[in-house]
Amino acid sequence: MDRRVFVRAGSLALLSLGLDPIFLDRAAYATARRTGRKTLVCIFQRGAVDGLNMIVPHGDPFYHRARPRIAVRNALDLDGYFGLHPSMAPLLPFWQAGTLGIVHAAGSPARTRSHFDAQDFMESGTPEDKTTEDGWLNRHLVATQPTDHDREHIDTPFRGVAMGTQLPRILRGTAPALAIGNLQTFGVRGRGAAGDRISQAFESMYAGGASGIVASSSAEGFEAMRMLRAADMGRYGPRAGVEYPRSTFGQSMERIARLIKADLGTEIAFADVGGWDTHVNQGASDGQLAARLRDFASGLAAFVHDLGERMADIVILTMSEFGRTVAENGSIGTDHGRATAMMVLGGGTRGGMHGRWPGLDPANLADGRDLAVTTDFRDLFGEVLVKHLGTTDLQQVFPAFAADSQRWVGAL
Amino acid sequence: MRRLIPAVSALLLLTGPLTAQGTPVDSAVHLLNRAAWGPRPGDGERVAAQGITAWIDAQLAPQRLDDQRAERFVGRYRTLAQSPEALLRVYDESRRANRARQRAGDTARGPDRPPAGIALVTLDLQQATIARAMLSERQLYEVLVDVWTNHFNVFLGKNINRALTTDYIASAIRPNALGRFEDLLLATARHPAMLVYLDNAQSVAAGAVRPRQGRRRAAQPARAPRGINENYARELLELHTLGVDGGYTQDDVIAVARILTGWSLDPGSRARFAYRAWAHDTDAKQVMGQEFRAGGGEDEGVALLRWLADHPSTMRHVSAKLCARFVADEPPDGCIDAGVHAWERSGGNIAAVVRAILLSPEFWAPEHRANKIKTPFEFLVSAARALDAVPDTTFALARQLARLGQPLFLCTPPTGYPERMESWISSSALFDRFNLALGIAAGRMPGLVMQLDRTLDQATVEAGILQGRASPTTRETLASATADLRPGERRVMLVGLALGSPEFQRQ
Repeated sequence: MDRRVFVRAGSLALLSLGLDPIFLDRAAYATARRTGRKTLVCIFQRGAVDGLNMIVPHGDPFYHRARPRIAVRNALDLDGYFGLHPSMAPLLPFWQAGTLGIVHAAGSPARTRSHFDAQDFMESGTPEDKTTEDGWLNRHLVATQPTDHDREHIDTPFRGVAMGTQLPRILRGTAPALAIGNLQTFGVRGRGAAGDRISQAFESMYAGGASGIVASSSAEGFEAMRMLRAADMGRYGPRAGVEYPRSTFGQSMERIARLIKADLGTEIAFADVGGWDTHVNQGASDGQLAARLRDFASGLAAFVHDLGERMADIVILTMSEFGRTVAENGSIGTDHGRATAMMVLGGGTRGGMHGRWPGLDPANLADGRDLAVTTDFRDLFGEVLVKHLGTTDLQQVFPAFAADSQRWVGAL
Repeated sequence: MRRLIPAVSALLLLTGPLTAQGTPVDSAVHLLNRAAWGPRPGDGERVAAQGITAWIDAQLAPQRLDDQRAERFVGRYRTLAQSPEALLRVYDESRRANRARQRAGDTARGPDRPPAGIALVTLDLQQATIARAMLSERQLYEVLVDVWTNHFNVFLGKNINRALTTDYIASAIRPNALGRFEDLLLATARHPAMLVYLDNAQSVAAGAVRPRQGRRRAAQPARAPRGINENYARELLELHTLGVDGGYTQDDVIAVARILTGWSLDPGSRARFAYRAWAHDTDAKQVMGQEFRAGGGEDEGVALLRWLADHPSTMRHVSAKLCARFVADEPPDGCIDAGVHAWERSGGNIAAVVRAILLSPEFWAPEHRANKIKTPFEFLVSAARALDAVPDTTFALARQLARLGQPLFLCTPPTGYPERMESWISSSALFDRFNLALGIAAGRMPGLVMQLDRTLDQATVEAGILQGRASPTTRETLASATADLRPGERRVMLVGLALGSPEFQRQ
C-alpha cells in the first residue's frame, strides 16, 4: 500500500531555486493553514465499555433485576429514564447546555464477541469482512482529499493524527496519517547543524531506500517535525483553570487540544483509552469502572473547557467495540455483550438521547442475553462525517453498506 | 516461485551454494534474523560453515548447547530463583508499604531510589528476558519462549500477577517451549497467572456455594463468585487453540467455561493451582459435538484441553501463527501446511513443527527474505548483537524497551504483542528508533557495555550491520553524511545511521 506523497511537488519546485528545503516547507505550510477547519475527535474505549453502567437505563425495570450487585443506584438523571454514571458528572453541564448527544444501543451487526475482531471491524468499517486493509477514518481522508492545485487546502501531515506511538487500524491507509506521542520530543534529537545533518541523512535514506508505510511514515514524520518546531507548541498549553487528568488519556486529550490550537490542519484526531474489560468486581457507583469513567469524563470535559469557543468547529465521537452482558456474571462483573452507548459532543451536536431503545426485557435481548443493536455504528459515524466534515462519498468510506440518511439518529 | 518439495529443498540447503538465493552466508544471515535474535559479527560465516540444517537441529536440542555465559549473567537477578509464595510475600509487603506511604502523604516517586520490593521483581524478569535474548547460545529456544509468552499472554500488571508471572514464565512457558503443544497448553491453563489474568479463578457453577469454613463466616460474603465467567473460555478457543474462525459458537464458549469451573487458586498460598470440586458444574455439556457426560470433575477439563490441542483448527491456527513470526506477516499456505503435517506426524511436537517451517521452501523464498519489520524487542536486541554489546547491570534496557512501546509482560489485551509490520511502524516509532540508534552508537545509551571496533569503516558497516543489503541511497548517504567527520565521530555516525537505516529495521 503506497501512500500519496504530499507537498513534494511544491517543495521540490522551490528547491530547484536553490533555497533551503526546511525553510521552504515551513513557508509552504504557513500559507496552507486554514482557520475554521472542522475537526473530528474520535475516542475508542478499547475493551468494550459497559454502556449500561455508563449511560444507565434506570427507568427500565429489568435493569436492577439483572444486576443485583452492580446496578448504579444514584445515576445523574438525564430525562427521567436514563442517567449518567455519577463519575461522569463533569459531562452533565454539556447535557444541560444541549451539546451532548447520546446514542444508546449502538454497535456492530457482526455478532462476534471477540475484542480483537470487533475492534478490527469497527476500525476497518467493514463488519464481517477481514480482508479490508485500511481504516474508515483514512478512507474519509482519501475521499475528501484536497487537490494538489488547491493551495488553500493543501494537505498537512497533521490532517489525520493519532495519539500514541502506534498508528491505529482506523487511520491506516493510503492517505497520510501520523502517530505522535509526546509533542515536545517528537523528532530526531539534536539541534543545530549536527541535528540537521542527522535528520537529512535519515530522511534521504528512507526517501530513497524504503517503500510503503516505512517510507511514508518517515516522510510524514519529518514534515511534521519541522512544523512542530516552527509552531512552538509550548505556547498552546491549557487555558487558565483547565486541568486535564494526569492519566494517559488526559495527556492525549491535552495534546489534541494543542494541535488544534496551533492550527496545524488537524481534521481527524484519534485517541484510545483502555481498561473497560470489567469481567470481575466492576463495582457500581464506586469501584473499578467508576474510576475509569471518572478519568474518561474528566478528560473530555477538560478538553471542551480548554477549547472554549473553538468547540463550535469540533465534534467528539466516542465508540467501543461492543457492550457487555445485561446480567452481571458470577464474579460481580460483566462478560462480552453486543450493543453499548456512544456519545457525540461539541459543535453542531443535537443534545439528547438518540436512537431506538430496545429495552432490557429478556424477550427483546440479542441471543437472549445482550442489549440488541438498534443503531449500526456505520449509520452514526456516517451521519457525523457528512454533517460535520462534509463527506460526500459515504460509499467509499463504508463500502458494501447502503448509506441511508433515513436511518440516521439525528445526533447533529 | 517454483514449489520445491521439502526433501529436495533440504537437500539443496545441505549441499551448499543456493545461487538463485544468494550465498550460503546470506542464507545463514536470513536464518539468524528469524530463528535467532540477529547475527553477531561473524555469526553468518560460522553458521554457513556449520550448515543450515545442522544449526537448526543443534538449536532444537538446546539442553546440549553450553549456555553458561547467559546463565551466569542471569543469575544476578535473584528474584528469578524465588518461589511464587516468597514473591507473593514481597507483593503483599510492597502494597502495605505503598499504602502507608500514601497515608503519610509521601507521593514522591523517587527515580533515584533503587528499585525494590515488587518493582524489582518486575524489572528482574524483564531485564533477564532481554539479557537471555542477547547472550544465550540457545537462540531459537529463546525466540520460542518469546513466541509462546505472546501466544499465551498474561498481563503482569493485574493484581497478584506482579508476583506470579516470574513463575509462569519459568514453570509453564520455558520447560514446554520446544516440547508438546498439549503440555504447554495444559501448563498455561493450570497456572495461577493465567487463572488470574483471564478470570477463570473466579468462575464457578451457577448456584454453587463455597462450603463453610469454621464458624467465623456464617453468611456467604457479598463478593463471592456466583456463576461462570466466560473470559478464559473465549480466549482459550479464540487465541490459544482453534482460532476465531475455528468453528465454535457462543454456546461452545459457555460450555467450555462450565467445564473449567473449579479450576482456581489454592486459597491458602494463592500461588498454586487448586481444583475446587464445590465450584464445578457437574451437569452434562457439549463442545462442538463432543459430549462431556454428567458427573465429570477436573478430568473433563483436562480431556477438553487435550482434545483442543489436537484439533485440526488448532494445528492450522498455531502453525499459521508460527509462520507469521518466521516467514511472513501474511503467511503463505505452503509453510502452514508443512507445520500442520509435522504436527500430525509428531503428535504436536513443537520442535518438529518449527523444524518443518524453517526447512519449508517458503521460508527460503527470496520474497520472504528481509520482508518482515523487527518489533522493538527484536530491534533492540539485534542492534546490541550486531555490535557485540552486552547488557550492563542496570535495568536500562527494560525501561528502554518500554519507551519503544513494548514493555515486556505488560501487554494488556490477551492477543499479546502484534507481529504485523503496520503495528510497529509509524512516524513516532521511526524517530524513537533513529534516536536510539544514534544513542547506542555514541555510547550514550545506558544499559549496554560495548566498544566500537576501531577498524570500523563504511565497508565493514555495510557488510556487518547492514548484512550486504544496503541500497545505493543508503550507501551514498552514509558516505556523504560522514565524509568530513573525524575518525571517531565518523564511526559513531556510520553505526548510528546504519542501525537506524531502513535496511536494519527489516529482518
